Amino acid sequence: MKVDFFNDVIVKGTKNGLNVTWMLAKVIIPVYFIVTFLDATPVIGWIARGMEPIMSLAGLPGQASIPLVVGNLIGLYAGIGAIKAISFTTREITIMAVMLSFSHALPLETAVTQKIGVKGLPVILTRIGLAVVSGIAVNLLL
Amino acid sequence: MSFDLIIELVYKSFTGSAKSVYTIARVVIPIMVLMEAGRAYRVLDRIAERAKRFTRVLGLSGEAAFPLTVGVIFGLAFGAGVIIQWAKEGTLKKRDLYLLSFFLISCHAVIEDTLVFVAIGANGALLLGCRLTAAVLTTLVLSKRLPLERDLPGSLQSKI
Repeated sequence: MKVDFFNDVIVKGTKNGLNVTWMLAKVIIPVYFIVTFLDATPVIGWIARGMEPIMSLAGLPGQASIPLVVGNLIGLYAGIGAIKAISFTTREITIMAVMLSFSHALPLETAVTQKIGVKGLPVILTRIGLAVVSGIAVNLLL
Repeated sequence: MSFDLIIELVYKSFTGSAKSVYTIARVVIPIMVLMEAGRAYRVLDRIAERAKRFTRVLGLSGEAAFPLTVGVIFGLAFGAGVIIQWAKEGTLKKRDLYLLSFFLISCHAVIEDTLVFVAIGANGALLLGCRLTAAVLTTLVLSKRLPLERDLPGSLQSKI
């Protein structure tokens, strides 16, 4: 089969890339706005102080609970929007990236795995479990 | 909140989120072009052929290599699409379905996810290494514990 490099690869790939970019812009921009505004209120400070003891197990500041919650409820890109809206060190970003890559977009992706026929609860528990264990492990190793 | 503060926050949100979207677009668009090239030149079939050796180690059958490759590279939704289609046609065993799902929940869309996190400053090698290791370990543990094909409940197939 002959491949039309320009149309099949360059044009189609760029189109897909732009589609994905648009899709993630629709998620990142609102999350970024909300987190930036929340950051100016005492709310994030309260959440951060409350979560500090738990987050410190993974070597993270209390504010890190925000991208983790947003990422798990909405999706990876929303979590990234929240990470960028608050400033973190690269070490903290790596730890959050590992945790989020195991466990993200739980409502959406659990629905997908249920379609394959696997029950939701074991999937969610496995993912959150992996995120917690990996967060603690990477903190110790890095 | 004073008016000045609101203006400052809107400006900060606008430029900050635009920058983030740009950072990610710079990664995502080339990846999509690469993936189309992979599809056009049938690289996926070749990778899946090699992945057969790997699926055997995990306790999966050779038929699982293709959906596994699709899921690991393109993501859960695409992987699940192939898995559902193959399950309908009866190509995949119930055991394979279970093990595949558990491999893919911790390790999917690795190219895009890894590079996007690298774009915002994360350590990519560590990220990818953790995901692969965890996926292999959970699947291995599960494949040892999972009953043989004939003992599995029949509900899996009928659910789809």
